Amino acid sequence: MSLLEISHLTTSFSTPQGTVRAVRDVSYRLEAGEVLGIVGESGSGKSVGMLTLMGLLASNGTVENGTIRFKGEDISPPHGRDKKAAREYEKKMRQIRGNRIGMIFQDPMTFLNPILKIGTQLTEGIRCHQHCSRAEAREKAIQLMREVGIPSPEKRLDQYPFEFSGGMRQRIIIASALACDPELIIADEPTTALDVTVQAQILELLKKLTKEKGTSVIMITHDLGVVASMCDRIAIMYAGKIVEEGTVDEIFYDPHHPYTKGLLNSINNSAKESDEPLVPIPGTPPDLLKLPAGCAFMSRCPYTMNICEVQLPPEKRYSETHCSRCWMECRDESYIRFDELPSADPVGSRTEG
Amino acid sequence: MSSNTVLEVKELCKYFDVKGGIKGKQRVLAVDGISFEVKKGETFGLVGESGCGKSTLGRTILRIYEPTKGKIFFEGQDISGLSRKKMHAYRRKLQMIFQDPYASLNPRFTVGEIIEEPMVIHHMYTPEKRRQRVQELLETVGLKPDHIRRYPHEFSGGQRQRIGIARTLALEPDFIVCDEPISALDVSIQAQVINLLEDIQKRQGISYLFIAHDLGMVKHISHRIGVMYLGHMVESGGADDVYRHPLHPYSKALLSAEPIPDPNTARSRHRILLEGEIPSPMHPPAGCPFHTRCPYAMEECSQAAPATYELEGRRVACFLYSPRYLRQREGLAIEPLLQKTS
Repeated sequence: MSLLEISHLTTSFSTPQGTVRAVRDVSYRLEAGEVLGIVGESGSGKSVGMLTLMGLLASNGTVENGTIRFKGEDISPPHGRDKKAAREYEKKMRQIRGNRIGMIFQDPMTFLNPILKIGTQLTEGIRCHQHCSRAEAREKAIQLMREVGIPSPEKRLDQYPFEFSGGMRQRIIIASALACDPELIIADEPTTALDVTVQAQILELLKKLTKEKGTSVIMITHDLGVVASMCDRIAIMYAGKIVEEGTVDEIFYDPHHPYTKGLLNSINNSAKESDEPLVPIPGTPPDLLKLPAGCAFMSRCPYTMNICEVQLPPEKRYSETHCSRCWMECRDESYIRFDELPSADPVGSRTEG
Repeated sequence: MSSNTVLEVKELCKYFDVKGGIKGKQRVLAVDGISFEVKKGETFGLVGESGCGKSTLGRTILRIYEPTKGKIFFEGQDISGLSRKKMHAYRRKLQMIFQDPYASLNPRFTVGEIIEEPMVIHHMYTPEKRRQRVQELLETVGLKPDHIRRYPHEFSGGQRQRIGIARTLALEPDFIVCDEPISALDVSIQAQVINLLEDIQKRQGISYLFIAHDLGMVKHISHRIGVMYLGHMVESGGADDVYRHPLHPYSKALLSAEPIPDPNTARSRHRILLEGEIPSPMHPPAGCPFHTRCPYAMEECSQAAPATYELEGRRVACFLYSPRYLRQREGLAIEPLLQKTS
C-alpha cells in the first residue's frame, strides 16, 4: 500500500473570464519515506494540486474529478458543490491537516501571524491535535526549536515573528510542520524566498529531519537545482498535467518529453566544463483559458505533428518508475494508427511549431 | 587606466542615514569602499546575497543614489561630482534594466510611447525618425511591429522585460546596469532574455554590469565576476577562475551552496555550510566583515579589515592571501583552501 495515491485529480476555478482547469487528470503515488519533487513553471498547477490534496482550495475552486487515498483511507474531496459532503470532508480533514500531513509554505512572513508570539503559534497545533496541557506543549515546542537549530529556544519562544530573520522564520515553519510527527510533509517552494547560503542550511535541515523520522516529502519547486539534491523522484508539470515522471537520474540523464529536455537545456549548469550556449524554449506558457484539445505544449514544441493538435498523448512507460506523455514517443507503438486519426499527418511534415 | 576601460569605480561608498526609533540616528553602510573596472564589450557579474549592497552599488554608479565617497569614472571622465545638468548628457550612455517588469513600465503608456519616451527626453531625432526607431527596436528585442499600440498589461513577464530592454536600447547606451533582469521570470523564459542580452552585446559592444543572485546564470553571461558581502567586494576575477577555484572563504561557501541541477554532482560534492546569517549593515562587525561566519577566522580578522591582495590577476580581500601568510603557506593549514572545493 502506498502512503499516498492520487488518481485522475482535476481541479478547476471559475473566474469572470471562464473556467480555468488548473490541474487536469493528475495521477501519482508516493511511498513511505520517499521524497517526490514536483517541478513546473508558475501556472502549471503544482501548488493547486497540493492545495486540493489538503482541502485548502479557494472558494471559487471545485474538484471535478479524482480520488485521493492516504494510507488506504479515502480522503477525496467531494466533487461539485454538495454542502453536506463538504462539511463532512472538512471534519475529516481537520484531523489530518497539520497532524498527519504537515505543510511548509513559501513565504515565512505571511505564514506566521505577526501579532502572536512564536510559542503560541507553535503550540497551537500540538495542543489541538495531541490534547496535551500547555506546559507539555511548550516543552515539545522547545524541543522542536532545538531540533531545527534555533539557539536559546526558551527565550525565543516568547518573541514575535518580526524578531526573527528570514531563515529563522523558515526554521519555525519547519518546526511547526513537524510538530505532530506527520507521515507526509508538503513543502511548497520552501526556500524560494531565501538566500543561497541560508537555502543550503534549510535544505540540509529538512533532509536530515525527514530522514531521521522517515517522513515522506512532496517538494514543490521551480528550481531544478533543488530537486537534484533533495528528491528521489520527480514529476514535471506543464499546464496542469504531469508530462514526465521518473527517478532523479531518469529525468536528468534520460529525459524523453520535449518540455523536460527544453527545461534542462535552458538552465545553466555550472557543473559542466564548457559554457554551452543556452537553448531557451521559444514562446510562452499557454493561456489556461484557451487550452488546445491536444497537447498543451504543442505551441512551443519543436516536434509538433498534426496529431498533437487533436488528441492528448497517451502515457508511455520506459521503466517501472519512468513515463512520459508525448506523441513523439509513441511512433513505433503498433496500437496507434496515425493514418486512421483525423487529419493526422505522419512525423516530420512540420518541424517548427 | 587602459584605453578600453568604459567604467572605473574607485573606493565607492554609499551610506544611508536612517532616522527615528529610540536608537536615534543610525547609518547603514550599504556600499563600503568598492573598486573595480569594466572593459568595453564586457559583462561584469555581481553576486551576493540580499542586503549585500549589489543593487545599491549599481544604482550609485548611475547616480540614482548620490555617492557618499569615492569616484566613478566613465570613459575617463569623473562623473561622481557632476551637476544634474552635466550628468544629463551621461545619462544617455549609462542605462539600466530593472528587475520587476511589472513595476517598471507605465501602465498608461502604450509600448510605442514607453520606448519613445527616453528619445523625447534627450531630444533625439525627428518624430518620424523616432517612430521608425521604435519599430527597429521592437524587432531587435523580438517583438512584433504591431505591438506598438498595445499596453503593458497585454504582455507576459518575459515580453515586458523585452519592452524594458528596448526602452533601454533606445538611447544607444555604452553601459547598462542589469539589476536582476531575470529573477522575476519563469525558468524557460530566463534563457530567452539572457540570449537576447548576449546577442545585443555581440552586435553593439555594450558593457553590462549584471547583478543577480542566480549564480549559474551570472557565470554563464559574465566575463568577470565580483563577489560581494556586506558592502565589500571580497573577491573578483575571471568568471571561470572564480567558479572553478574560488579563493575567499565566503566565495567558496557561496558557490558550494548553489543548488546544482545535476544529481551526480549534487551527491558527490562537499557543501560548506555557513553558520548563521548575514549581519546587519547597520552594525557591521569590526575587522573583516565575514569573520563572524568564517570557518578560517583568525585573531587578526576581528581587529583589522584585510586589504585587497592581487593574486594572478585576481583580487581577494582576505588575510589568508596576504604576503605574510602566503610565505608561510607550507607550514599553515590553509592548503585545503587553495584546492578545488568540488
